[in-house]
Amino acid sequence: MRPLLLQGHERPLTQIKYNRDGDLLMTVSKDKIANLWYSHNGEHIGCYVGHLGALWTVDCNKTSTLVITGAADNTARLWHAETGRMLHTWELPTAVKRVEFSHDDQYVLMVTEERMGHKSGIYVFAIDISRPEQSDEPIVILRASGAKPTVAAWSYLDKFIVSGHEDGSLSLYDWRNEEVVQTAKAHDSIITDMQMWKDGTYFITSSRDMTARLFETATLEPMKIYKTDAPLNTATMTPTQDLVILGGGQAASEVTTTSSRQGKFESRFFHKIFEDEVGRSRGHFGPINTLAVQPDGKGFASGGEDGLVRVHHFDPEYFKFKYDY
Amino acid sequence: MEVITNADGTKTVIENRLNEDGKRVRVTRKIQEKIVQEHVNRAVAERKQWAKFGQLRSDGTAKSSVATTIGEVVELRLSQYAAQMKQQELEAAEQEKAAAVKSSKILCRVCRGEHFTAKCPYKDTMTSAEDILGGGAAAPAAEEAKAGGPNAYVPPHMRAGAKAFGAGGRTAGSLGAGDARGDGRRDENPTIRITNLSEDTLEADVNQLCRPFGPLARVFVATDRSTGYCKGFAFVSYYDHESAEKAIAKLNGHGFDNLILSADWANGGK
Repeated sequence: MRPLLLQGHERPLTQIKYNRDGDLLMTVSKDKIANLWYSHNGEHIGCYVGHLGALWTVDCNKTSTLVITGAADNTARLWHAETGRMLHTWELPTAVKRVEFSHDDQYVLMVTEERMGHKSGIYVFAIDISRPEQSDEPIVILRASGAKPTVAAWSYLDKFIVSGHEDGSLSLYDWRNEEVVQTAKAHDSIITDMQMWKDGTYFITSSRDMTARLFETATLEPMKIYKTDAPLNTATMTPTQDLVILGGGQAASEVTTTSSRQGKFESRFFHKIFEDEVGRSRGHFGPINTLAVQPDGKGFASGGEDGLVRVHHFDPEYFKFKYDY
Repeated sequence: MEVITNADGTKTVIENRLNEDGKRVRVTRKIQEKIVQEHVNRAVAERKQWAKFGQLRSDGTAKSSVATTIGEVVELRLSQYAAQMKQQELEAAEQEKAAAVKSSKILCRVCRGEHFTAKCPYKDTMTSAEDILGGGAAAPAAEEAKAGGPNAYVPPHMRAGAKAFGAGGRTAGSLGAGDARGDGRRDENPTIRITNLSEDTLEADVNQLCRPFGPLARVFVATDRSTGYCKGFAFVSYYDHESAEKAIAKLNGHGFDNLILSADWANGGK
């Protein structure tokens, strides 16, 4: 693999995401701008400029016409994907840590931070694609009873919203009725990332307790556990091969105390079913903050604390890999 | 340039041009054209035409801080046994490290274990080798006192190492003559070599360092002729073998003037 290095950010990456067709790559970092790239050659298309604080999260709709970003300036912004024009700004009480379009693009969820006396919450807004102005009135605000949510995702058919919390627990919300259907203790530490399988029936979570786990959405039943030797920041699943990719490393504050060889800054490949580590790919000089797999399974991208995005296109050998059982 | 279409559908391109030596050369190439149809998602194809936007200069080039480069080749070898292999690799590295530690003769000055003195678990509870060394120094001093004070003259045949020379079959007379010349017995005396001395080591320092182990026959500190600084090594001869042995044991790995000394027999080990 010869990765493409995208140098468009001056600060650590916080999230990267492919659009559904996999031709575009959106990257956000703490340097206040969101970048858009072509994934096949790494060509830079543009920047979404306007946020006043670190960006935490990005998502785009299925047709790749709208991009939404959430930032530490207590706003979430809607952008016209092609031109970079800002369409709408939602003012929220605290920083927006996670945004995600629902599967039908009708709604968007936003996870807000717990700060300055404001309780954190999961806000759901309706999206009207026919006009730029959007409703500032959330349809529902889901409040967690225990620890604050850090990540959230839409379930199958947009029926539920799953949230992962700071104490490592998971909640399944019947969001229209604002009810908690199910809770489960998933991890021993903060849940750092949650990525749904494309149909929303199961998802993977990563945590600083050095494990990533697979859960069934409907029951929050743990299905698989992937154990590593470093705190994890992100986990994702490959759509064609039965693999999961995990990324992490030491906490950013401890990075300078050791060499990059000991820092465990590799992307780790685990077999999804057998939970065995099958490979690693090196490259970053700091912890990996975010990973995304191209929806057709032909490549993956990683964003690190070092401010670099590395876009990998898999070698032919990768597709020949078979697990013997 | 001349293009000939062949009967089998290929093309021959003949080109005359100057090569880098300035000579005219004719290049003939045979080309077969093949049209490969590729189906692309319409939306994706449309998106490829998107204009640049955002923080771009008016001439359409990206701002200077944005760059895309091609990185180094990264290996991703997927293997069912990757985890086991990794484990083995780690264990091998660990063993290598342990072997390296063993061979490098790291010696703790407190407990004589194979670790740095600073990391010694007994460093607060045990008396250091230095103190033991001091105790060792007391013994010859006592002998000296018996002979009439530390600075009293001890004739060579009365010295601690004299027995060894007696066994060598030499008469006291010839021994004394050699001593007067200063270098006649040089080869017979057990000599140790001390290396890794600091630049500003003086003969007196080495004397002080080596005296506690026994009477010294000769001390030689190698100095640079032009600067007069120590060249980093010194030879010390004792009268007897035991003293020299004791000195090697104590001085090898001994810290002196911020350097760790190493001491050994001067002529490659007796």
